[in-house]
Parts: sequence; C-alpha cells; structure tokens
Amino acid sequence: MTAPSLWEVLDRACNTGKVVAAKDFDMKVFSVASRLVKEHGIRYDPETPVSTDDGLADDAWRAGLELFTEVGAYCMNSGRVIGFDESEVKEGFKELRGEAVVGEGAERRVLRLRDVDDGSPPSIVCGGVIESNFPEGELFVKLYQSIAQEPTIDGFYVGPPLQSSEGRLVRSGTPLETHLGTSMVSWVREATRRAGRPGMHFISACTSAIANVAACDSAEGLRRSDGIVSTIMPELKTDYENLNKVVYSHDYGCVKHVYNGGMIGGWAGGPEGALIVSIANAVMAVMVYRIGVGSSYNALGYLRASTPNYSAFVTRPCVWGSSIGSQALSRNTKIVNTVVAMTNAGPGTEMQLQEIVAALCASMPCGREGLSQGVRRFKVKPLLGSGLENRFWGEVGYAMSRVKRDFANHLAEEMLSRYEHRVTRDSDGGPEGHTFDEIYDLATLKPRKQFQELYDGVKRELEDMGLEF
Amino acid sequence: MKEQEILKRLSDAVLQFDSEAAADAARASVAAKMNPVRAIEEGLAVGLRVIGDKFEAGELWLPHLILGAEAMEAAIKVLEEHMPRGALESTSRGTVVIGTVEGDIHDLGLRIVASMLRANGFKVYDLGCNARSLDLIQKAKEVDADIIAASSLMTTTMPFMRDLVEALESAGLRDRFKVLVGGGPVSKEWAKAIGADGYGKDASEAVKAAKQLVQKE
Repeated sequence: MTAPSLWEVLDRACNTGKVVAAKDFDMKVFSVASRLVKEHGIRYDPETPVSTDDGLADDAWRAGLELFTEVGAYCMNSGRVIGFDESEVKEGFKELRGEAVVGEGAERRVLRLRDVDDGSPPSIVCGGVIESNFPEGELFVKLYQSIAQEPTIDGFYVGPPLQSSEGRLVRSGTPLETHLGTSMVSWVREATRRAGRPGMHFISACTSAIANVAACDSAEGLRRSDGIVSTIMPELKTDYENLNKVVYSHDYGCVKHVYNGGMIGGWAGGPEGALIVSIANAVMAVMVYRIGVGSSYNALGYLRASTPNYSAFVTRPCVWGSSIGSQALSRNTKIVNTVVAMTNAGPGTEMQLQEIVAALCASMPCGREGLSQGVRRFKVKPLLGSGLENRFWGEVGYAMSRVKRDFANHLAEEMLSRYEHRVTRDSDGGPEGHTFDEIYDLATLKPRKQFQELYDGVKRELEDMGLEF
Repeated sequence: MKEQEILKRLSDAVLQFDSEAAADAARASVAAKMNPVRAIEEGLAVGLRVIGDKFEAGELWLPHLILGAEAMEAAIKVLEEHMPRGALESTSRGTVVIGTVEGDIHDLGLRIVASMLRANGFKVYDLGCNARSLDLIQKAKEVDADIIAASSLMTTTMPFMRDLVEALESAGLRDRFKVLVGGGPVSKEWAKAIGADGYGKDASEAVKAAKQLVQKE
C-alpha cells in the first residue's frame, strides 16, 4: 500500500470528498479536540513555559494525529472534507526522508533532522521582514541586502507582497500583484548579488498562486532551489489558491514550504486544544500538501493567541504550546520543521529581542531543524524591519541550539517576566519600534550606534545568564 | 413553575450550550404565559452575556460563543411563534451585516466579532470570508441593517474596505448604513482615512464601537 497520490488528494478536495458546511467542520474540530485533550490528559502549565516532559510531547503527538485522522482537512472552495484513514496516514509518514536541500553553489544548504536537546547547529536560518510595507525598488533591495550580508542568515522569506506595484495600489489576487511577485523576486536577487551571495535561497509568499508562478525562472527568478509558501488556514483548512501553489511547486520541482500553526482561542479552544491542532496541521502538511514528496520543509508557526483582548504571539501560553509542539514532531516524525516567530514589539526595541529569545527557547532545544521567516511585529506599520533583528535571530538561534530544555525553560521564564505585562490592548501589544532608515545608516548599511549598543547590551546580559554565543 | 425558575432554566440552558434544554425551557415559558420578550432579555440573553464575559476573561473560547448562541436561537424559534409582530425586533440592539472583504479568506476574527456582537444583543448576518462589497450592501438593504462590518487580515485586501465606503457613496446609501472596520493590519488611522464610522482593534472594541454607532443614530 502507498499513500494517496497528490492527484488523489486533489480529487478528494475538488470532486469526491464529503460536502459539509464550514461551521459544522469547525465545530467538529472543537468537539474532537476537546475530547482528545481530556483523553490524553494534556493540561496547560504556565509555570513551565518550556516543557521538559517527553511523555507530554508524545501524548500531544498522539492526540494531534488522532485529531487529523478523525476530522481530516477542509477545502473552503468546494466545501469538501479531505479525509484519510489510519493506514493512509501511516504510509504518508513513511515518505518523509528527513532532509531538504535549498540554495545553490556556496549557499547550498542541506536541512537535516535534529533531536530534542540535540546540541547541533540549526541546519538553516532564514531571515526576512514580514508584512511591513516598503517602497518598491532601491529601499527594498537595501533592506534585503542588510539581511543577506549577515553571515548567520542562509535565506529569506519574501512576502506578503508590498502595497504598490509600478506606483499603483496592489490588491490581493489582482494582476498588479502578479507583476509585483516577479518584481520582488528580482529585487531580492539583486540584494543577494550585492551581498556577494547570489546562490541564497528564498521562499516566495505572494497571496495568489499566479504571482508566485509568474516569478519562477531558473536563472534570475524563483529557482527550483527556492520555494513557494503554501498556508494551512486555521484550523485544518485549505483553499484552491493554496492547493494551486502546492501543485505548481510539485510540477516545477521547487521547494514546498508549508506554513501552519495553531490558534489559541480559535476553533480548537484554549492552549491545549491549539497545541494538538497545531500538530494536526503538521500532519495535514504531510498528507494534503505532500511535503514528503520532493524537497520540502514545514514551518510550524508559533502558536498564536487570539482573544477579544489581544492577538499576540510570543506570550506564555504560546511559548508553552510551541515548545511541546516542537518536541512532539521531533520525537515522532521525520518532518523537517522550522520555527516562525512574530513579535509583539517592533524592531530596534529591547522587548523585541527578548521575545526572539523566548521564541527560540521553545524551538531550538526542542528539536526544530532551523529557523524560517524572520520576525515581524504583529501590528503592521511601514518600514518596520532591518538586518539587525535578523542578525539577532540568527545569533541567538545558534546559541540556543547548544542548550538543553531545562536551561531554555529558565531563560524563557526570565524573558517572559520582563515583557509579558506589556502585551496589552492599550499598548497595542508592545512598542511599535523603529523604521529601517532610523536603525540603519543607508549609505553604509550599518546599524546606527544606539541600536548597535542596545543589541550588544542585550547580548551581554544573555551571556551573563549563561547563554554562550 | 415560577417565572424566576423558568428564567433560570433559560439562562442555564444557554450556559450549558444545550439547545434542546433551551427549547424546552422556552416551551415552559409559553405554557406559563410569560412575556416572550422578558424570557429573552432576562433569561436567554443573561446566559449568553455570561458566556461573553467568560470569553473575554479567556475562560471560554469561540466555539462556546457559537454553541451558546445556537441554544439561544433554538429557544427563540419556540418563542417567536407566540410573540406579537415586531416584538422580536424590540429585543435586538441593532442589525449588523458582517464579512471579511473580497480576496481575504481569514475568517476566525470575523467569527469572534460576529459571536461577540450576538452575545451583546445584535442581530448578525454573517456573509463569511471573501465577501464582495456589493454583496455586503445588498444584504444590508435586504435586512435593513444598521451597520456593515468588514474585516481584513492582509494589507493587500484592506483597499477593498475603501471600495465598500465608495460603493455606498455612489449608491447614495452612505447615510443609511454605518461602516465598522477591523482586523490585524487595520488601524484607527486607516479607518479614518477611508471614511469609516467606527473601528475595532479587537472583538471587544468592535462591540463597543457598534454600540456607540447604534446609539448615535
């Protein structure tokens, strides 16, 4: 027996899956997740942001696997459930090779599996600036050059699209976005050339499939050693746009980069439900997006909290769930799994650096293979992003890969205690931060003194706490 | 059965997300000749408000809000048959047509806001995600809404909010409906720039803004 082919999966999504109302699917996710949380005895423990409990990680894995097997995935366009039986899921996991290859020449990187408390360096560190809008052309090139010149950075996440194309407003799914997809890729290529690293890989995250497809070109555009991002929507949902990205990545032969996570306060309920649905989403990446076929890797997004009071990322329950989700997948699968973190505070602030440390505490000692997508401030303002927080992302990623979970738990507790009270509705999550041109001298592309000093100060403090760089 | 007992049964049924028990309690209130408006306002709505408060406190989650609202709906269906014409409308704080704008398939925040509005006494028509401006307006006309609420989770779908306001203007309907906007990248400044009437940073603020908008009318 073999796992259902991609074509069979698409047939289920488009033609043969059972048609159900979206609300009924959502409520089934909730009822099954609630039952499985109880059955597997999973309980949120705010005292231990980074869990060291192997048994809990394995329980969470089984609960997530059972959730996916019982509920399946949902295609929002067709209203069909993409279901699998247990034996099909088992076969799907056999396809995972635990390896992915990206980039070219001197920038070629091989992503390999890491264990919990592994001690080996991350196999990839991707940077990027997510969401914040930049002007087209030169400033965008300089932004990515400031990241590409960082030696710890191996590649980029590029997207979502900027807000203008040829000076015209860009709307999602429109022809101007299609053109912009190509333009953004050409600017990123230029940035890597200027940094002397033309082989660097990137993953393209335009919202429409056609904008990513249009950017593909084996020489100057999106190469086969690059990737296209396909997203799993909360929870366990996909749509034709994302399936189109999966199909094209499969046919073109580029990297499939799947972004998924879990939402605290969403369809799966609280932190415990969000934890197991995040694992179920990763199972969906294997079965529906077929990351076991070709050179692909998964980005298990940080758990995100969505409550009426705030929508936030690196909070205590998010760190807790992400630490266990990382361990569950590392201990039980061959999924190549990278970390994504979105911060509440903006660039050039101490709080953002503290959030990065907390996010990586729940990732690198917990068995994630690498880092992808850089960091972003959740509440989006223009020009918020620079090479400096990407440098920190990479440096701390390497440092955290050498520590064990118990130290990571201690460090995460320390970081959280410093900023979690600032993640409030009134603060809009945290300080907005500084713009690229405030943080960098654009002529030299070096960080300005005050931001470099802030960076060095936080790093020194981490060293005093026992983190070795 | 005493009226106080029936009111508690109605409230408890909603709190326990039990549609059958809610319908049974509604039948008991009809048998006791209780004023249906009172059954809603002092029974069912009390239960739903408690769920809303617990949701805000992080003790309950979105699916609980939906299940509570479903229990309330089941009871209202029973009560409706015994209500004088127009009485049901008097129990509503206002009518909202809501959707995530065109090109945007993020629906979680939308569902939270819709549920919170329901918990706070609004009648809500939820058009889901990828809702075209013209469809939102058409529905608002059809149900004589007070507010059109639109959400966006992407910077590249925010411009469709501006379209909504412009479409209302060109149809000569701008004064008839209030426009409320929100979502991840949406800010107060953006709301002001496109000429929206209200902005909600999150679900609680959206409810607060909706209440203010219907009061102003």
